[in-house]
Amino acid sequence: MSKGKRVTIKDFCTKSGQLVELDTTQFPPLPAPYDELDLVPKIKPLSQEVKDRLESDLDGVSAVKFPRPETEEEKRELVGRFLSGLKKLFERENNWGFMQPLFLTIEYCAKCQTCASACPIYNESGEQDIYRPTYRSDILRRLYKKYVKQGGKILVKISGDDIEASWLMIARVLELSYRCTVCRRCAQTCPIGVDNGLVTRELRKIFSQEMGVTIEQLHQKGSVQQLEKGSSTGMTPVAFLDNIEFLEDEVEERTGMKFKWPMDKAGADVLLIHNAGEYLAWPENPEAFAIILEKAGISYTLSSELLGYDSVNYGVWYDDVQFAKVALKHAQIAKDLGVKKIVLGECGHAHKALTVIADRVFSGDYNIPRESSLTLLRDIVTSGKLKLDPARNDDMTTTLHDPCNIVRLMGIVEPQREILRAVSNHFREMTPHGVHNYCCGGGSGFAITANTNFPDWRTVVSSRAKLRQILDVFSDVIGPEHKKYVCAPCSNCKGAMRDMFAAYGLFERCNILYGGLVELVVNAMVDVEKPFLEWEFH
Amino acid sequence: MSELQILMYVAYAFLFVGTGYRAYRMARMPVHLRWDLYPIPHEKGRGHYGGSYFEEVDWWTKPAEVSVRSELREVAKEILFIQSMYHNNRSLWACSFPFHFGLYALIVFVFLIFLGAFLDLVGISVSAEGNLLGRSLYYVTAPLGLFGSVLVTLGAAGLLVSRVARVDLRRTSVRSDYFNLILLLAVSVSGIVAWGADDLSYSQSRLFIARLISLQPAEPVSAAFATHLVLAAVFMIYLPFTHMTHFVGKYFTYHKVRWEDSPNVRGSVLEKRINEALGYTVTWAAPHIKTGGTWAEAATEESTKK
Repeated sequence: MSKGKRVTIKDFCTKSGQLVELDTTQFPPLPAPYDELDLVPKIKPLSQEVKDRLESDLDGVSAVKFPRPETEEEKRELVGRFLSGLKKLFERENNWGFMQPLFLTIEYCAKCQTCASACPIYNESGEQDIYRPTYRSDILRRLYKKYVKQGGKILVKISGDDIEASWLMIARVLELSYRCTVCRRCAQTCPIGVDNGLVTRELRKIFSQEMGVTIEQLHQKGSVQQLEKGSSTGMTPVAFLDNIEFLEDEVEERTGMKFKWPMDKAGADVLLIHNAGEYLAWPENPEAFAIILEKAGISYTLSSELLGYDSVNYGVWYDDVQFAKVALKHAQIAKDLGVKKIVLGECGHAHKALTVIADRVFSGDYNIPRESSLTLLRDIVTSGKLKLDPARNDDMTTTLHDPCNIVRLMGIVEPQREILRAVSNHFREMTPHGVHNYCCGGGSGFAITANTNFPDWRTVVSSRAKLRQILDVFSDVIGPEHKKYVCAPCSNCKGAMRDMFAAYGLFERCNILYGGLVELVVNAMVDVEKPFLEWEFH
Repeated sequence: MSELQILMYVAYAFLFVGTGYRAYRMARMPVHLRWDLYPIPHEKGRGHYGGSYFEEVDWWTKPAEVSVRSELREVAKEILFIQSMYHNNRSLWACSFPFHFGLYALIVFVFLIFLGAFLDLVGISVSAEGNLLGRSLYYVTAPLGLFGSVLVTLGAAGLLVSRVARVDLRRTSVRSDYFNLILLLAVSVSGIVAWGADDLSYSQSRLFIARLISLQPAEPVSAAFATHLVLAAVFMIYLPFTHMTHFVGKYFTYHKVRWEDSPNVRGSVLEKRINEALGYTVTWAAPHIKTGGTWAEAATEESTKK
């Protein structure tokens, strides 16, 4: 146990220079064909110029791209702001939304390390101490005891948990808060119910909500852009409407089906909101939705209002205020349209954000029912409204990736399986699956974080457990002569897979493709003459 | 009143007030955002695979189907056998399970000692010559006490050795982690010594407790028993200040966070609590946050900070 480099909390706080050098040859070997180390990508080291400029002393990776402070005064100010945020994290009024779960985690961990066995990042990185689920919690716990708890300064000296807040330590905590995907497998295994994944998010909140420090793709280009322009992709309502026209034409070209996609239809039963990234990166997904809902005769509408066409809510990963702002806008749009419910497309974090977490942000007539598209699709598929022939998917072996947000964090497990069994004769499960699945590696905003060498880290470290599962499940048909499909009903998971597949050459070498669920459904529809699924990697 | 008796009163006061305060403080926390984690065993017909009511179309129109039996079964498995550790950390479970099981036995044992003391006070003799109740209690208490003490001793020793021998545990332990186990070990070993010295039937213990209950001065006790009492008292005073009160925390982590899946229904008490929280003042200082107003304002109004 603990084969990785030992990094004590004292070292973490005081030792200068890069703490850990990640060496992929020391990681647990992957299944064939990636047991050949030459085929495994590496993390590109940062140039000296970048290292001098940006905080990267944790592991040589800079996810946040935070510039190194130049003066001692600047450092002191940053430490002061961090400690101010730390106190607010434990205040009833400032952190009511997570106060109870946070206190429980801070107060009751018994350090049994049971959680470590569940963490894909810790295990796949060769058990690096710094990635241990309890590591960042231990730091937060020590900081809380010393700087927030009454009499803490004396108590920590007696208990041996003393810690000194310095900029060196805080800069490392900042980066460390972006080395966990908040998949919460660790929490699932904890005998006491402590949640180290939550600590990751709470640490991010100190930086974002107090210091204004976060990842630009999540904040400035994420939730801020979404609130200003309508989408984190930068897509404005006008551009969205143009896109829809284009997709309507494309559907006609691909299927011969000509119909208008319902837009801003007041009084429709359903407001369907996709992750807007789908329209740009995987347009076949919203197209397939449109085809299915049209054929099934569902009363629904899309919205071209600001935010009405983008279900993402990045606040769920780093900031409660941004989270609430976006969630309320979504509810407002549904309220104005007078729909009966909001249905979320294939986007995991949007599911969790709007359906579950935001449930305790809404009140009165903002509390409009919200549900997953997977259940609606399951009912459509099993109702017989679509003529389906699973043999149309017989040329490929299919497996299912369970997005953490939809499955472990929401309990939607069977509907997607019922659909898959109805449209594929060659569906097989990964191990483990369902609520015990492994994250794609792109959770908690990692899939869209594109700073410096962080995408390498994601591909090499946080996506590695998922890659292992995919290779394992297809091990008997791994050769390129067999077509294999990883069904991932989540935009972020697909984003992480796109990068992982490209880095490892999974499509070229093993003929494995990833994609959504509805594409498989349309591919199995007898009414659609040509195969809907285009077997090409993008 | 002897010093030992006073110490025990103080210890029991700390134990009950301290742990009670912990539970009270946790129960008084504001409503939190949903942070459930599946599987949730009370999901009727779905709990076994991790499913939830979200698997139903228009779930809000359907009655919530809750299986209390499944939840209780899961609770029992977790409390009695620590199943999550069994599945995910087997070598530590081999120490943790006997340790906790021994503690449960000792809790029942202490209850039986109190019960025996009470019966003695009301004239029912707890001895080999007593009536059926007194005799049963007499014969059950001693083996249970010894059984619990031995299990706790073995478990605590195993946990201590693991903490030293296992690299991952050693790396993450601080002074207080070792101290907690050493203290527990001292309590259980001293208990066994006191029993072996001159309290094989636990009559001395019962008598001491009887005097404690009836506020009467205690008879002199053996040095071994006094040592055990002092160590037990220190532990009871110390316990509420530590994470070892996780028997309190575990109720909240499971029932109020992980398995807390109550939907917010219009006009409900929950909605009222949410509205109250939305009225709390926000003082987060980042530029994008409107500071000084309520959460409702921060979530709907733009910050004017630069």
